Amino acid sequence: MVLGTYKEVVTARSTDKEIQKIAQDGGIVSALFCYALEEKLIDGAVVAGPGKDFWKPEPMVAQTADEILAAAGTKYTFSPNVLMLKKAVRQYGLEKVGTVAIPCQTMGIRKMQSYPFGVRFLADKIALVTGIFCMENFPFASLQTFISEKMGVSPELVEKMDIGKGKFWVHTADDVLSIPLKETHGYEQSGCKVCLDYVAELADVSTGSVGSPDGWSTVFTRTDAGETVFKAAVEAGVIETKPVDTGKFGLEILTKLATQKKEKAMKEIDRRKSMGLPVPYKASSEKEDPLANV
Amino acid sequence: MSEKIVISPTSRQEGHAELVMDVDDEGIVTKGRYFSITPVRGLEKIVTGKVPETAPVIVQRICGVCPIPHTLASVEAIDDSLGIEIPKAARQLRELTLAAHTVNSHAIHHFLIATDFVPENLMATAINSVSEIRKTVQYVVDMVAGEGIHPADVRIGGMASNISETARKRLYARTKALIPKIDAHVDLMIGLIADKDLPDGLGVVNVPTLATHPLYGDRTKFDLDRFTEIMPETWYDDPEVGKRACSTIPLYDGRNVEVGPRARAAVFGSYNEKGVVAQHVARAMEMKTNVSKIVDLLAELDTSAPVMADYDVTGTNKLGIGAIEGPRGMDVHMAQIADGKTQFYSCLVPTTWNIPTMGPATEGFHHEFGPHVIRAYDPCLSCATHVIVVDDDNKSVIKNEMVRI
Repeated sequence: MVLGTYKEVVTARSTDKEIQKIAQDGGIVSALFCYALEEKLIDGAVVAGPGKDFWKPEPMVAQTADEILAAAGTKYTFSPNVLMLKKAVRQYGLEKVGTVAIPCQTMGIRKMQSYPFGVRFLADKIALVTGIFCMENFPFASLQTFISEKMGVSPELVEKMDIGKGKFWVHTADDVLSIPLKETHGYEQSGCKVCLDYVAELADVSTGSVGSPDGWSTVFTRTDAGETVFKAAVEAGVIETKPVDTGKFGLEILTKLATQKKEKAMKEIDRRKSMGLPVPYKASSEKEDPLANV
Repeated sequence: MSEKIVISPTSRQEGHAELVMDVDDEGIVTKGRYFSITPVRGLEKIVTGKVPETAPVIVQRICGVCPIPHTLASVEAIDDSLGIEIPKAARQLRELTLAAHTVNSHAIHHFLIATDFVPENLMATAINSVSEIRKTVQYVVDMVAGEGIHPADVRIGGMASNISETARKRLYARTKALIPKIDAHVDLMIGLIADKDLPDGLGVVNVPTLATHPLYGDRTKFDLDRFTEIMPETWYDDPEVGKRACSTIPLYDGRNVEVGPRARAAVFGSYNEKGVVAQHVARAMEMKTNVSKIVDLLAELDTSAPVMADYDVTGTNKLGIGAIEGPRGMDVHMAQIADGKTQFYSCLVPTTWNIPTMGPATEGFHHEFGPHVIRAYDPCLSCATHVIVVDDDNKSVIKNEMVRI
């Protein structure tokens, strides 16, 4: 099961025009958090907010829809949201916390909930983990290299970044620039090379652009909590859905990319293991399903 | 003919101590000696020579019962050595932390003395009440200081961060709702303690009281020149006890003193009662004053105010003093910082002050009442490091004199 355990998969987007305008794809994360805040299903969310440097996000505790929207859009470098979770339930006093996480962060959160060392009374206060699809993540210096060096654009001019159709895209006010993804290889974080999770398999709800048309997102509901809030949001009309495309540009491409990520990572895990290096995953010979995220 | 009664270790307290009582034919204590058998742990030495930020983190590990007072006394001592004036909101957050911790600690003590005073049919009520109080006030410490037991956010120069408005409102609502529960709890405990009909004058001992502040602590009220320290060999008249005792004897104006809730009530509240019952009553009443203080502080707190002062960590080797009124009494830490490192560190913990007073407090009554007298001080001998000597050949424990449980 390269797409992880899930209850349902659909194509969806936010019905809010405001969110559609600023969101990366379907605006699912923003719409879900805004809805959950409004309905008091969460009392705040740790999101990747704007930081001091352009495009260098910083974790932020959002307690209003405005704050959620200020953090909309994908940033292709790390936002250490997990770090902020403890602060959210301590100084911020939240008791039902939502957070957005890439797959590795999702794994971290679930592990933290299972073994809560140094995070007393945090595990049961995490109410909604929305995971986002992730092939790899770039250190901030890598992004600067792509934008300033390879594309020759000043980072302040960048309005949106995107990955799709084999390219890394940058939108400015009057230009759309791209470099082939091949040119980004080698700039990703080292940990991404052993990551077996493309679709945030451990999140409550996971979402990403792959598998759905432009302006829409593919959404997996994975847990009871995730299913409940997603269904309620659909029922309330803040998210609209349609059946997911099961063909070539739908689940097929998603499955293909997930499989590729896992196969590539498994090779690297086996290589590192054979050298005696520490890797937090089992070697392919040690597990029944060589592509399982364990 | 005199007989010797030894209770070792004394129970339902934190750490390990021994009570040695000489009794006459009637079983009346003629001479009481109480002393710590918790071994030396050297935390003051561990922090010496390291950057000052290390000290609060390490010394809060002195104990899991009083971590908050130790952390606060430590940062206050270092603030003083470095000449730091902390912002008003930081001071409020520190006071909040201590007040909440004090309520928690007193509640734990009620759990420890429950079997002495609470009849079986009320045991569940009393324990549930302790649990509920603790849950709420520990939640306050969690929010304000970052962690309920070993708080990470009490820092040199102030606090790591202010709390959010959501947290302030939430804490305000919960602690306010706690007031009637605490009132009921205190009435219950004071009533049950009175019902026990302990003999009049039990635990009364004629020593001065020492306290620096009704609730928080005030370093200007602790005069180092009036403080002396002597070795247990000199203090105890029994050479065997003197040799085994593990704590020094601190004196103020050359006398042993009493610290703790009753001492605070005597110094600041003109409370004249003495002895076991008075100590229990003073302690219980402090739960009320502290929870009111929590509510007042939360009402006043400006959550947008800064909580950290700018400071230079270099230091001038000034002897800084931090005096905090912990649940069990005045906790004084002393620190000297120079060249960015801790040059000297010393802690005078609450129960150390009470140790030389607690033995004599058992005198004049039947030895059966000895443990009552000891528990009324809620002694905390600082978490014990259990020293054992292992035979390298067969791995058996060959010497285990310090702690016998």
